[in-house]
Formats: sequence, C-alpha cells, structure tokens
Amino acid sequence: MDRTSVKIVIAGGFGTGKTTLVGSVSEIAPLTTEEILTEASLGVDDTTGVESKTHTTVALDFGRITISPDVVLYLFGTPGQDRFWFMWDELAQGAVGAIVLVDTRRLDSSFPAVDYFERRRLPFIAAVNRFYGECEYTEAEIRSALELGPEVPLVWLDARDRESSKMALISLVRHAMARLALRSA
Amino acid sequence: MTDSWDGEDEDEAGRFVPLYILVNGRTSPRDTALDLATQVVALRVDTTRLEPEYLQILSRCGGWISIAEIGAYLHIPLTIIKVMVDVLLEQGYLKIGSPAQQKVVDLRLLDAVLAGLERL
Repeated sequence: MDRTSVKIVIAGGFGTGKTTLVGSVSEIAPLTTEEILTEASLGVDDTTGVESKTHTTVALDFGRITISPDVVLYLFGTPGQDRFWFMWDELAQGAVGAIVLVDTRRLDSSFPAVDYFERRRLPFIAAVNRFYGECEYTEAEIRSALELGPEVPLVWLDARDRESSKMALISLVRHAMARLALRSA
Repeated sequence: MTDSWDGEDEDEAGRFVPLYILVNGRTSPRDTALDLATQVVALRVDTTRLEPEYLQILSRCGGWISIAEIGAYLHIPLTIIKVMVDVLLEQGYLKIGSPAQQKVVDLRLLDAVLAGLERL
C-alpha cells in the first residue's frame, strides 16, 4: 500500500493563533520540529581569517489529520519570525494552500504572509481570529488593509474551536479546488 | 593555578561529536524531493549492522510516519533527519510514500481531503 501526504500551511503574524488552530483540529497534540540554521557572516573581511558564524534554531509546530488509510494531511505553522523565508519555501512547496490568520489588533502583522502567498501563487484564504472579541473592522476594511484580491476568501473563526477551524480548512480546500479547476479549464 | 593543560577537558569534549559524523559527512539528502511531510515506513530487513542512531529512527517507522514527526519525537533537527532518512532509504531499510508535492496536486486528491475534513 502507498501513502500520500498533503500539506496545509498555517501562517500569520506572531500571536495570531497558528498553534491554537493546529491544536484544535489535529488528531495529535501539536508537535515541534526544529531546524538549526547557520548564518555565515556577510560583508567586511575578517582579518583573523576565522569565519565567524551564528546559529539560530527555528521551531515549526505542526499537527496531523488522517484523511483515509492512504492519505494524511499535515498542518504546518510558519515560524514565528518572518525573516526565515526559505523555511516558508519548504512549507509552501507542494502545499494545497495556506490559511493566513489575522489578528484585528495588529492587521499589519499578517501582511507579509499575504504578500508571500500572492507572490508564490499559492491558494490562500484570510481567517480573522475572533479570539480577541468583537471585530471592530468591516470585511471591506480588512480586505483593503491586507490588500486582498477579490478572489481571496475571507472567513471569521475562533481558532480554539474545532468546528470553526475545520470550516476554515474546508474553505481553503474548496478555494484550492476552484483555482485548480479554473487553471485546467 | 597553572597554564599547562591538565587533560581534564578531554572528558568533557569527548562527549560531543559533530552531528555530521553520523551521516558520513553528508550535508544534504541525495533525494532532494524529501519533504517535511514525506511518509516513510520500515521494511522487514536485517538491521543488525545499523548504528543505534539509525535503529532509533527505524523504531519509529513501524507504521507510516512523516519525516517531521520522526525529527520531533527524536529531537533531531530537520536537516539532519532528512539526510539520515535518505541514508536508510538508499540502503533499503525504509520505503518512501508518494509525496504529494511530486505530482501536481490533483482534484481527486483534493476531493478526498475535502471529504475527510467534512467527516471530522
């Protein structure tokens, strides 16, 4: 028997509820995997001839949903720090799409994620996390602040709620299917 | 207090081994299609010649499992676990599942994912 894995990326600025969403729908408690990065120093010649390097650990939280005996879905949260774009590349590579979580107290913190998926042409939806209570913005205001195209679905969710998170995942998969159908038409 | 080396830090240093030694100096997997979500499963073969680090990986692969999960359970960084899994694949200890990212994500697969989510 063969087994196929499918990925969905959960993105958004720091503290938007990525791990909460993963945890609410995952069949396992969210796991953390780490990548150790080595950064060669740039620029000025080092007169001692010693190559100076710094190491950083980037943590990725993820969860799993078994779809069928031969298909398993992984939900990967993007690293907290936006600057590790190549980690995003690895997550986005071959992914079904992404959910960009939005915290209305800091709309701009989700903009880099929107921009990234736009440029990569990966299907994504924006999901406003109601965790922090009533949203003081209208859908139009959020769309305009995040420069969302009219084709990008925008949903409201409570990342702590399993049903709510599940509905957001369903919206994303439907959106990805519509995009695929459009492209192959 | 003396400047001469008394040999004491040798014990300390002796406990540390550069991680690349475990992977024969390799720094990237031969099969670059290996992804965080790629599924692997152990094959029923003789493992008596394997080093403990590799046996530890195989012990997690009794059923299909992703590379990210193995790394998370064993606390091995992704770059390293990818190379180690690749070594095990190359030497016939593991079998690899079909990575979704290899094919264009097709509608039938998405349909299955959608149905699976709706059943949750």
